[in-house]
Amino acid sequence: MIPDSDVLKSKSGPFARLDTLQAIELAEGVEIRLRMAGPYARVLAYALDLLIRIAAIAVVGLIISLFGFILGSNVSMGVYALFMFLLTFFYYVIFEAGKRGASPGKRVMGLRVVDTSGAPITFGQSFIRNMLRFADMMPIFGYGVGLCCTLITKRFQRLGDLLANTVVVYDSLPVMTSGGLPPVVSAEAPGLALSREEQAAVVGFGERAGMWSEERRIELADHAAALTGASGKRGMTRLLGMAHWLVEKR
Amino acid sequence: MQGREFEQRNAERWREYEQSLNGMDSATGRSEDRVSVDPAKIPVMFREVCADLALARHRMYGMSVNERLNTLVIRGHKLLHRRASGTWGTFFQFVAVDFPVAVRVEWRLLLVASLCFVLPILGVVLIGFYWPNFTWIEAILGDKTMDSLDMMYGSSDRQIENLRSEYGSNFMMFSHYVYNNIGIDFRIYAGGILACLGSFFFLIYNGVFFGAVVVYIHVACSKEAFYSFVASHSSYELIAMVVAGMAGLRIGLGLLHPGRKTLAKSLMDAGRRSLPLIIGAALMTFFAAIVEGFWSARDLPVTVKYVVGIAGWILCVLYFVFGGRVVLAKKVRKIEGGAA
Repeated sequence: MIPDSDVLKSKSGPFARLDTLQAIELAEGVEIRLRMAGPYARVLAYALDLLIRIAAIAVVGLIISLFGFILGSNVSMGVYALFMFLLTFFYYVIFEAGKRGASPGKRVMGLRVVDTSGAPITFGQSFIRNMLRFADMMPIFGYGVGLCCTLITKRFQRLGDLLANTVVVYDSLPVMTSGGLPPVVSAEAPGLALSREEQAAVVGFGERAGMWSEERRIELADHAAALTGASGKRGMTRLLGMAHWLVEKR
Repeated sequence: MQGREFEQRNAERWREYEQSLNGMDSATGRSEDRVSVDPAKIPVMFREVCADLALARHRMYGMSVNERLNTLVIRGHKLLHRRASGTWGTFFQFVAVDFPVAVRVEWRLLLVASLCFVLPILGVVLIGFYWPNFTWIEAILGDKTMDSLDMMYGSSDRQIENLRSEYGSNFMMFSHYVYNNIGIDFRIYAGGILACLGSFFFLIYNGVFFGAVVVYIHVACSKEAFYSFVASHSSYELIAMVVAGMAGLRIGLGLLHPGRKTLAKSLMDAGRRSLPLIIGAALMTFFAAIVEGFWSARDLPVTVKYVVGIAGWILCVLYFVFGGRVVLAKKVRKIEGGAA
């Protein structure tokens, strides 16, 4: 008789996920999974945008100081003030409302701003989320409010995101390089009847195993010792065999 | 069917779909792709890929297929749900109907924001006129502001007009007002999310400051120079500031008073409702900057400027009282007619 597979379920229930995927159901009846971007990637994107803006100020300032005499000092000062106005208030608004839905810094980090339904955002949404930066960046450009807000909301939304109903997601997934995977010796049927979630976990282990070091593979496989009936390197090999069986032989 | 077989069988279809997406995406699309795309086929292909994704998920065909299909569906979803960008038509619709209607709908906030701005002005002006001690006005303004006030309005011999006679100075001042005044509007707005406190603070602070300026002008400068300069743009600039305050209070209320909605939904709705207010306020301030930059300092008879100023106030009141009413009434009649 095949024993029940409850041994593999964690105490918090089988659906308590640790990942940052957000499932959104479309009108077509299918779920898409958006990968929410956390504060770390967004802080880096912000730093990049900051550098880009500083560079833009420097370049435009240089051009105006070199060629400003053609327009006259007053006109060139006016042009500079208008440029500063656009850069301060509309840099993000225009880029995020655009086709790519991301400021240059976000684009470099592979991020994109979308509606919580996964659709592109409107100009209005972009306007709201970026005007609220002035509240999110308190105190004194430290983004303390924004950071706290992203940490307590489920989808890493800062105040501007909450008001505009937007989220920041990974647009393109990082390419996963897998190499150095030990060849699977033998496909092996699991000794237990696995639920769908559990099967997915085992298959996922097999698919990702190439990205980890041997020690990490063994460490992770040890969590499934109840399934493989072995620990250490032997347990890992058996788990890989089961993953192989689930993909190929079933 | 195994995952690999599923992938092989549908690969051609997915490739075709992906090519159509590439072609439609003008940002990355190559011209030869675009020619061959039949836009009418994309929704069909999109729904097929959706079905593929659902199937692949259910049969657990593994991460790579799932991820690939997930990405394909997301791309199609983004493409199909792309909203048409605004046209001049939507802009005129906004100015003629949406903005004044939004302000009327929020008349309670209009009342509160106006009082927060007008009462401090009145208070400071009254105290300033009847209080013999002048030092506190000086304390509010600070030396720098008083110097610039002296420079602009110090005597009645047309100082501003002379300051602005230099080539390009009108444009420079226009840009300065755009940066400064629209920036103030945006700060008033963003401050509202802090439980309305930010908006209240900026409105009251600006009210006190303006009151102090008025008192200082009456005591130390030329009243005529001041009023003839500010008359023309005062209506648009001051009303816009109050409207920006309304937008800020709206989002603050979304946080403070969700009512029967969840907090997230309440914030979302507050954001949506505040949008026409703050955009309208920014447009009005922009218009005020044009007037302030290119008209207010013109060397014209004082009476002309006063007439323009009063006309501006009357126009603004008429605009907010009657703007969009006709169009709305027509719409209501249409709906009623349709029902009957």
